[in-house]
Amino acid sequence: MGEVSLETAAYAKMILHAAKYPHCAVNGILLADGSKFREGVKNQDLDIVDTIPLFHHSHYLSPMAEIALTQIEATAQRENCVIAGYYAACENFKDNVVEKCPGQKIAEKIVEHCPSAIFIVVDNKKMVQHLDTPAIKLHKYSDGKWKLKDAPVFSTPHVLETVSHLLQSGVQKDLVDFDNYLDDITQDWTNLGIEKLIASITASNTIDNDSEEKPYR
Amino acid sequence: MSYNYEDMTVNEIKDLLRQWRESNERRSEDVMEFWMAIMEDLDKFGNEKYVLLEQVIYAALDTHQYGIASMCIVILHEKFPGSMRIARFRAMLCEAKEKYDEALEILEEIIKADETNSAARKRRVAILKAQGLIPEAIKELVDYLKKFMSDVEAWQELCTLYQQVGEYSRAAFCAEELILHQPHNHLIHQLLADIRYTMGGVENMELAKSYYCQALKLNPDNMRALLGLFLVTNNLLNHYKSSGNSGKRKDVWRLCQWAQSSAAASQRNSQVPLTQMMLNLAITD
Repeated sequence: MGEVSLETAAYAKMILHAAKYPHCAVNGILLADGSKFREGVKNQDLDIVDTIPLFHHSHYLSPMAEIALTQIEATAQRENCVIAGYYAACENFKDNVVEKCPGQKIAEKIVEHCPSAIFIVVDNKKMVQHLDTPAIKLHKYSDGKWKLKDAPVFSTPHVLETVSHLLQSGVQKDLVDFDNYLDDITQDWTNLGIEKLIASITASNTIDNDSEEKPYR
Repeated sequence: MSYNYEDMTVNEIKDLLRQWRESNERRSEDVMEFWMAIMEDLDKFGNEKYVLLEQVIYAALDTHQYGIASMCIVILHEKFPGSMRIARFRAMLCEAKEKYDEALEILEEIIKADETNSAARKRRVAILKAQGLIPEAIKELVDYLKKFMSDVEAWQELCTLYQQVGEYSRAAFCAEELILHQPHNHLIHQLLADIRYTMGGVENMELAKSYYCQALKLNPDNMRALLGLFLVTNNLLNHYKSSGNSGKRKDVWRLCQWAQSSAAASQRNSQVPLTQMMLNLAITD
């Protein structure tokens, strides 16, 4: 019970967001698959299918966060997802703990609505172009505190390779967070383009695997 | 967007770098790529060579390429021995390598030699911030602003630091100071409104409303101000409904309607369901 699995696109957007703004703190929202989700149940399995990158500046002001969260909730409902967590990366390279992250109030609010919510902190020190570890820390809320848990499992193979590939080709420059959207509302904060790109990479990965198994025909 | 710097002439690169320098864009990675391409042609840059080297130093420190940074510092040092400006770069190199004490020593010397050197003083604030000592950084910056009170950049930084520690009324003071310095900058009006909204309470909401309106007057395309105005008027409507102040309520209602229709009009070209969001937020009247 209480296992957390991450899909490639959800993980990739988180890492790309942190990579796009290496000099800023960043934060965002995690969305879980709503079909298996039971309301109000503590410590249930979560299948994180998507993330929405929020802000890279003005973390301590509430109006735009309210706008963003209301929009995300509306979109999530339509796609049968639930808001089930929060991620953040600190501005300071050495700060890799929940207490130093911006927007802890947002995270606590999410827990009020979803008791099994998670808090992911991007581990700045492990962020490299060739990821050999997931570079994230997973936390769960219990007894009024965020407690560190085991790393989440990935629901698809070759996640680290895929995301490393995206980082090396500079895809982070195309990531759109909510701040970008508010600067220019024609931008798409759901990042459908990146999702499609990841889907095609994952598809070609599986084809490669199949051909490795059956090299000659 | 990445540049194919092999196809660009030196002049094109020069113009692009100048453009980034003047608009203060943080494109360290791109600058470093260009540096590799133009390194050998440095003498073609004439007097611009030195500002360019400074730009490269910043970019190199930002991308952790300390070797290149020290090399540029040496070139500058040979040309301008004893320059304070270059001493400051040396301090920044120490700072980047996290040798904070050494950096502070160099800065101390600069300030001793030239009391009006504001850049060196500001680096001291940056060092405290890098160490995560926010209250100390605030104290240092307040001291700095007592001496250099027309430094807009410093007021802005102090405003952000106060927000970070949750002292919103002080952050609001800084934002007001910023408005006095730049009364035509719509972003600052919007910033003050955001701070007032975050503080909450009817009085602050009224203030937030006015500043959002001013921001929109200065720049009708400021989406954050438009959405902020929508939130704030909704909030006030709620309040006036219960307190029964019908005159004010009518004004706010009209403003709310206007914000809603303008926001809806500006998002017509995008697919994201802003209207749906507003419906969720709006009070059914």
